[in-house]
Amino acid sequence: MANTVIGSSIMIDGEISGDEDLVIQGTVKGKISLKESLIVEGSGVVEADIETQNVEIGGQVTGNIVATDKVELKSDCRVVGDIKAPRVLIADGASFKGNVDMDRK
Amino acid sequence: MATLGKDSNTTNGRTIIGESILVNGRLDGDEDLTVRGRVEGNINLTKTLVVESSGIVKADVSVRNCIISGVVVGNVTATESVELTQEGRMVGDIKSPRVIIVDGASFRGRVDMGDLEAPRSVGDRPRVAPAPAPVRTSTVVTRPSAPVKPASVPAVIKPASAPPAPPLPPAAALANAKRKVIVKRKK
Repeated sequence: MANTVIGSSIMIDGEISGDEDLVIQGTVKGKISLKESLIVEGSGVVEADIETQNVEIGGQVTGNIVATDKVELKSDCRVVGDIKAPRVLIADGASFKGNVDMDRK
Repeated sequence: MATLGKDSNTTNGRTIIGESILVNGRLDGDEDLTVRGRVEGNINLTKTLVVESSGIVKADVSVRNCIISGVVVGNVTATESVELTQEGRMVGDIKSPRVIIVDGASFRGRVDMGDLEAPRSVGDRPRVAPAPAPVRTSTVVTRPSAPVKPASVPAVIKPASAPPAPPLPPAAALANAKRKVIVKRKK
C-alpha cells in the first residue's frame, strides 16, 4: 500500500521527488522523480517527465518515462511519450504513442 | 505491489504526502491534504491542510482550515481556522477568523483575525442592546404603575444588600443590572 496518495481533485504544478511509492489519482504537471514505484490510477492525469524504478499506468500520461526496472501500461491507459526501461508491459486495450527503448545502460 | 483497484477504494478523497516526498511547485485541490513530507511553493485548498510532525511546508497556504503540527514557513490564510498544536512551529503571518495556538507551539509572525468587535466594559453594558430591557423595567419598578414590577421591588432590594445572586446566570445578570440601577435611585 502506497504511503503517498495524490487525491483526484488535487492539482500539482511543479516537481515531485521522493523515496517512496506514489499513487496519483489527480493531476500532476512538471516532473516526477522517485526511487520507488509510481502508480497512475484511472483518474490520474500526468503531464510530466517521469523517472522512477517502476511505473504502473492506468490513466493518462504525457511525457517521457524512464524506469530502472519496469514500465507497465494497463488497459484503458493513454500514454504519449517515450519509454525507456529494461522491461515493458503493454496490456490489451492500452493506447500508446511513442518510442520504446529497452536497452540496458 | 498495490493493485489499482484496491487503492482507489481505500482513499476517501484524502491526499497524503509521505515522509520522503518533496513537492516543489503549486498544489491546488478540493480535498483534505495531509503533509508528512516536504512541500515548497504554494498550497491552495478548499478544505483542510494538516501538517504532521514530520511535515515541512515552505509555502504560502490558502485553505479553509489548517492544523499545524510540523514546520510551516510562509503565510497562512484560512477562511475558517488555523490551529498550531504543541509540536507546531511556524514562521509567517496568519490570517484567519479563528486562531488556536496550543501551549508548547512555537510561532513568530503576525496574526490578523479580521475586524474585531470593540471590547465592552461593565459600565457600557446597559447601553448596548440587552440593556434597554433592564433600564425600562427598573423605571417601571420605581414608579409602581406596572402591577407586576412593584412586587419585585422589595424582593430585589433585599438581595441587593446580600450580593449573592439568584442561581440562573442570565437572570443574575439582569438582576444585577436592575439592582445597580435601583440602588442608585434609592440613594
